[in-house]
Amino acid sequence: MTAERRKNDFVVGITVLLVSVLVIATVLWVKQASMRGSTNAVSVRTRDVGGLALSNPVVVRGVRAGRVQGIALGDSGWVVVTLAVDKEVSLPRDPVVLLFASSLFGEWQATIADAAGLPADADLRAHIAEARTRSDTLAGAVLPDIAQLTAVAGRIAGDVSKVSNRVQTAFDDEAAGELRGSIRNFAQLSDELAKTVRKQSANLDKLSGNADKGVEKILSAAATIDKIAGRVDSSTSKDELRQIIANTQNAARELVAATTRLRTIADSAGGTQSRLNQVIAQADSVFAKVNSKRGSIGMLVNDSRLYTNTDSLIMELRALVADVKKNPKKYVNVRVF
Amino acid sequence: MSRLAPRVLVTSFGELMRRGFEGIGEGARFTASAARAARDVGDWVPQFSAQARSLGVGSIPIGIFIALFTGIVLALLASYSVGDLVPPYFVGTLVQKTVTLELAPVLTGLALAGRVGANIAAELGTMRVTEQIDALETLAFDPLSHLVVPRVAAATLMFPVVVALAMLVGVLSGWLASLTLLDVTTDQFLKGARIFFVDFDVRYGLVKAASFGAAVSLIGCKAGLETQGGAQGVGAAATRAVVLSAVMILVLDAFWAIIWLSGRTLR
Repeated sequence: MTAERRKNDFVVGITVLLVSVLVIATVLWVKQASMRGSTNAVSVRTRDVGGLALSNPVVVRGVRAGRVQGIALGDSGWVVVTLAVDKEVSLPRDPVVLLFASSLFGEWQATIADAAGLPADADLRAHIAEARTRSDTLAGAVLPDIAQLTAVAGRIAGDVSKVSNRVQTAFDDEAAGELRGSIRNFAQLSDELAKTVRKQSANLDKLSGNADKGVEKILSAAATIDKIAGRVDSSTSKDELRQIIANTQNAARELVAATTRLRTIADSAGGTQSRLNQVIAQADSVFAKVNSKRGSIGMLVNDSRLYTNTDSLIMELRALVADVKKNPKKYVNVRVF
Repeated sequence: MSRLAPRVLVTSFGELMRRGFEGIGEGARFTASAARAARDVGDWVPQFSAQARSLGVGSIPIGIFIALFTGIVLALLASYSVGDLVPPYFVGTLVQKTVTLELAPVLTGLALAGRVGANIAAELGTMRVTEQIDALETLAFDPLSHLVVPRVAAATLMFPVVVALAMLVGVLSGWLASLTLLDVTTDQFLKGARIFFVDFDVRYGLVKAASFGAAVSLIGCKAGLETQGGAQGVGAAATRAVVLSAVMILVLDAFWAIIWLSGRTLR
């Protein structure tokens, strides 16, 4: 009896132990829990966690790097989320945590990202700024849920439905009748247009006849032009034009030679002008000296006494000459031997 | 006659209600008596391991068998029902959640209700009709502490063991079925199983299993001890034990769902 009881004890004990170990090991494996403490606990402060649940993945740069370990209400309306992040994972320089649905089927994840790379969403940035602390607790915020987006899409669909209902209401039987009448009027209008076109087609025939005549005249004018062109062509063929061109070339050459000579003359004139300038300058110098009473001429010009003396001298010379003429012997005494 | 008919109907309804409450009261009284008898540790502990081996270890094969096919069917059912609507890894989610939370505890509980409940009722009923229990009482042995408590304790402890093993086998067979019969890879199945897994699922299933074990064994013991007549009475007791156990398992299943799952989310 005792041996049997011990055997029973052993069988029951080993069964319970084995099953317990199996279940615990499986639960830990499925939860991806670490028994060696290879994770760091990271606290996150956020106003809301959306649909985040325990064991949801923690993602860094798109790679799973841990799991959500705890979610608890904090002070002053905050929610504190504890993340178990693998130890070998290095966090961004300014880490913040974004909580959002990773698929349409209710899976959420916590993504640790750099604050510099946040989406350009003013509300999101405001939530992150509000959740920042001076401690090691990271700031977190919830991105708009897919459900919210689908709710917005649902509202849009509702609005579209309303619009379509209004269109349907507006496009009732009366509107359909009016449209039918409009179509009928359009048919009548098209008939009248066809008649008008038929009438105008006769005028168009006349117009086209006149156009034919015009075209014939244009053709005859073109023939005349053709003849003129032929003449021009024949004159060209008789070398008259080439002669004219040759003459023109000769005239041009002569013109070039004349121009060359003219340029030579102009150069000579330039030299003459420079010499004239020098003469003028010298004359100016002479006149300046005359004006400044320097030299004989200057004194002569500027001193009236000299003039008077000279004049009296000339008069005396004249009297002398007259006297010489009158009495040559008085002044000329020629002796031979 | 026409004036008596309403009175008969009302009387019958009252009798039905009285019997119902009477049964509940008797069950509660029996449970309280068994709990009081558990204080006589020296009486029931020596028999505990024998009962645990008989009721628990002996039930493991049937638990594994049920879970094996349950997992396969669940994987195929998940793929058939929502295969085109959701990603393939949701097969893993569905198998893990359904097996852990519901099917392993309930199906195993129902199977064990037939095996354990009928076993206990037939054994104690036979002892009752052969006056072995009367002899114990004559010798001042408490039949509750000697016969009921070790069975109830063994069933309450070993049912979760069998159900835990059934959970493992069910998920494992669902995984294998997904690999071999469906276009679901191991990574996809594990991803689905892990996405929404919380250890509460396992705790919930094991607590339910423990309550099922207690209920099945108590009902079996009560039915056996109340057996009257001969072999026919034993058969009737066994049948009553199985039926009541099955009903009680479903009632307890709903009870725990209301208590633990009502208003609860995965958070």
